[in-house]
Amino acid sequence: MGVEIPFDVANIPGPEVGEVVAPEVIGSFISSAKRPLLVVGSEILRDDFFVETAMELAKKGIPIAATGHSLRGFVEKGYGEKVSYYNLHELTNCLRDPSWRGLDGTGNYDFVIFLGIVYYYASQMLSCLKNFATDPLVRAVSIDRYYHPQARMSFANVSARDGEEEEYKEMLLRLAESIKR
Amino acid sequence: MEELKKGGIFEISDLKNVRISIGEIVEAGEKEGRAGEGEGKEREPMGPHPMPRIATLRDWDFKLLNRYKPFYAPLCDMCCLCTYGKCDLTGNKKGACGIRMDAQHGRIVLLACLVGCSAHCGHGRHLLHDMIKKFGRDVPIDFGPEVDIEAPLTRLVCGIKPRTIGDYEKVFNYIEEQIVQLADALHTGQEGSYLDFESKALHMGMLDSLNKEAADIIQIACYKMPSGFTGVGDGPDVPLVDVGIGTIETEKPVIIVIGHNVPPAADIGDYLTEKGLEEVVELGGICCTSIDTTRVYKKAKIASALGRQLRVLRAGIADVVVVDEQCIRADVLELCQKTHSPLIATNDKAMHGLVDRTDDDPDKIVADLVSERVPGVVILEPDQVGEVAVRTALEMDRKRRKLSFILTDAEFKHWVGECIQCGGCTLACPNGLRIGEANKSAAALGDTKPLADLFDLCVGCGRCEQVCKKHIPIVDVITKAAYPQVKAEKGRMRIGRGPVWDSEIREVGAPIVLGTIPGIIAPIGCGNYPNGTKDAWLIVKEFAERNYIVTLTGCMAIDAALWKDEDGKTLYEQHHGGFDAGGVLNIGSCVSNAHIHDAAIKVASIFAGRPLRGNYEEIADYILSRVGACGVAWGAMSQKAASIATGFNRLGVPAVVGPHGAKYRRAFLGRADRSEDWRIIDATDGSEVFVEPGPQHLLVACETVEEALPMIAKLCFRPSDTDRGRSIKLTHYIDLSQKYLSAYPPDWHLFVRTASDLPIAAKGELLKKLEDEQGWVVDWKTKKIKEGPIRGYNPSFNPTNLERLVRGRGKGKK
Ligand code: SF4
Ligand code: SF4
Ligand code: SF4
Repeated sequence: MGVEIPFDVANIPGPEVGEVVAPEVIGSFISSAKRPLLVVGSEILRDDFFVETAMELAKKGIPIAATGHSLRGFVEKGYGEKVSYYNLHELTNCLRDPSWRGLDGTGNYDFVIFLGIVYYYASQMLSCLKNFATDPLVRAVSIDRYYHPQARMSFANVSARDGEEEEYKEMLLRLAESIKR
Repeated sequence: MEELKKGGIFEISDLKNVRISIGEIVEAGEKEGRAGEGEGKEREPMGPHPMPRIATLRDWDFKLLNRYKPFYAPLCDMCCLCTYGKCDLTGNKKGACGIRMDAQHGRIVLLACLVGCSAHCGHGRHLLHDMIKKFGRDVPIDFGPEVDIEAPLTRLVCGIKPRTIGDYEKVFNYIEEQIVQLADALHTGQEGSYLDFESKALHMGMLDSLNKEAADIIQIACYKMPSGFTGVGDGPDVPLVDVGIGTIETEKPVIIVIGHNVPPAADIGDYLTEKGLEEVVELGGICCTSIDTTRVYKKAKIASALGRQLRVLRAGIADVVVVDEQCIRADVLELCQKTHSPLIATNDKAMHGLVDRTDDDPDKIVADLVSERVPGVVILEPDQVGEVAVRTALEMDRKRRKLSFILTDAEFKHWVGECIQCGGCTLACPNGLRIGEANKSAAALGDTKPLADLFDLCVGCGRCEQVCKKHIPIVDVITKAAYPQVKAEKGRMRIGRGPVWDSEIREVGAPIVLGTIPGIIAPIGCGNYPNGTKDAWLIVKEFAERNYIVTLTGCMAIDAALWKDEDGKTLYEQHHGGFDAGGVLNIGSCVSNAHIHDAAIKVASIFAGRPLRGNYEEIADYILSRVGACGVAWGAMSQKAASIATGFNRLGVPAVVGPHGAKYRRAFLGRADRSEDWRIIDATDGSEVFVEPGPQHLLVACETVEEALPMIAKLCFRPSDTDRGRSIKLTHYIDLSQKYLSAYPPDWHLFVRTASDLPIAAKGELLKKLEDEQGWVVDWKTKKIKEGPIRGYNPSFNPTNLERLVRGRGKGKK
């Protein structure tokens, strides 16, 4: 895919910027990841659809770390027990540490997916992972409606202009569909 | 042998011509007592670290940095500071000079703190010059019967008890020398360790806190701002003032002051008073100068915090704008020209290309401004500003009366209709606001509410307009849509009270350390909020209603005053202004927030009797382990906010920032899952104790206010809490988490040491949860915990991180 403008237009980090990819590409990486982790933020609360999508992904064996106050959305759906609350700073700090034992006590993750997180906060945390979670490599990607150059892979900007929120939802459905685990 | 001469000069007898100057000797056994009151009691002896240098407190810093490891999130992966560069540091690579990404980011943090600290130091020194010129160096520092420890940070860091403002010359000499040494470390080929960069940043932060205290003490002393006198409306009884754009009476001539350095604004107040014009001319302000103006001139009003600056200027309500220093828009002159508001720049740090007319004939200056022959002037003598500003405002009011800068209905309609929903503004907007959609609602449906709703979410930066291909004046369009609510923006806040009284500390010292007052919450700093000003109000409300002590300064103090309850009352009107449970205190401007450090220091000194003088490390250790205080810089934006937070951190006070705060690049995060990080010493017997993670972080960002509220409560846990105090803190932590995250906090059990730590009302339920979810062993007959906690509760636990404080060990060791 082509070159994209960061959602926050001046957020150009340097020579290594994330690739804009189709949902199926991220889906195939998730499918082959050893230990993927879905990190969701408070923006998922803007529509039930996003909470449900996260739950769909969880059903495919991807654990969920609920950051910000996104936990609320899962509790409302009776799914609160199955997700773990983390502050995003705390969680990223753990993810950069190879000896971290993870949400389930069995180890760190190799593929981290960001969804529904305030753009600039997510960007900073993706930057930390890109720069410091390199040995072993933790690949962090974004499936938000924003282009995130600090992610290894990202969707393009999907603006909320008429119909495009629907387009974004469609992309998430394609992603979920493409994950074979 | 060496011989000590006057003024700190040594002569060494064997080396006749060698004289070593170590500066002034601070005499041991100096007399205590208020200036001019004769002899007092003997002063306490000098502590181990007067006027610490870069490496003096490094051991303390490393203790902090080992527990709260620096976490870096680069905003930029490159370095371009020298001509070897640009260097690509992505992936923690090294640049040509050998510096790694992590150290480079420590360096950038130090640079931010340098800029912030220099701003406060420059401000303080400038103020001192002006005040000495106006009042002389012998203005006594006497804050009345309620404030004996007038300058806790000055005593703590410098070992000096300042008696007059002139004593602050040596304090600034010390700070300036240290700033230069620290700036030196930034040069290519100096420091290479990120930990040492952070230790230097912590040192810079400490200097910054000292700057702030110095600046506020000088202005309180000279302008007789509220301090510690009883029966005159000081302290808890400071009066309320109007806040909000809607409170400015635009039918009168209006002067708007912007910045942080109050003398020019004070002169305007004096001139208005002298000429009997208080009811004729409105004096309003933006940012900290406005707060400080209300401390010196009782008719002053606060137009807005920083976030509304662009909108106040665009609205053209000012007949004259007077700027001093810091947080002034760089395009202020252009904005003023558009609204025919003459600009008076009063500080050599921000002159905006204007001609310096200091000492010029006021008649000529006024004539030039009123005729608009010049768009503005520089007047560097504060005492010359009042007359020019007031006379110009009176004349400009007559000229400008018919002008309006709010869009007309037709203009508004035109502009919203121009929008093609390209989304460019959204990509430019720091908060990603969806302006195009809101324009469309207004244009297509005549529904202006979506645009009006953006008013408070907008941080007033103007970036959107820079990219709009249709040249839509987006900020004006939003203001127009929100105009009825802008006119109705009328809040009330207490004027800045300055120091917390010693008598208040005596009352609350024990409940704070025991935990029965669950914490001191300090919402401070700028207005770069993720989701509008209402979050500032919510933070204050939640904690004040829960009987925390809430101490505000700066823009958060202003923004929290904009919102009211159902009875039309602001939080300042609902809550008392005392430093006690449930108090909502406006401490003052940014420099006044040193009094929040001071309150924590005075708890250690007055309540616990810890020696103060030159004893930073011990006091910081005390605060970290026992004083449940937490700063909240929800809209932290500036470099000053970086140095302020870092100064709080070195003193052992954690801070929570909003999501924009992640762009400061560095956080200090503890790891609850690493028990080895939470080893502290029981000073009673020297034994090592593994404790719960309290406070868990020194600097952390939260994504939303809903997440921040329980986090702030969590950061008030301290190892010294009594069981009763702990149960109160746990009650609020759990309750806030349930209220805002709809769940128990996942780590609440870490803070339980014994059954009596549990909130009484839910004790049975919580014991059951501990048994079921954590596998703890509970004796149900006695309702006691038999197994599970990190440690048991020991009421005589005497926590410290400093081995030298173990009783009977290392007395006097540095
Ligand atoms: S200071 Fe170091 S990292 Fe920065 S540009 Fe120069 S050589 Fe490169
Ligand atoms: S940049 Fe201008 S034209 Fe484009 S959406 Fe924003 S306001 Fe409309
Ligand atoms: S002025 Fe307001 S709407 Fe425009 S970019 Fe800044 S925050 Fe966004």
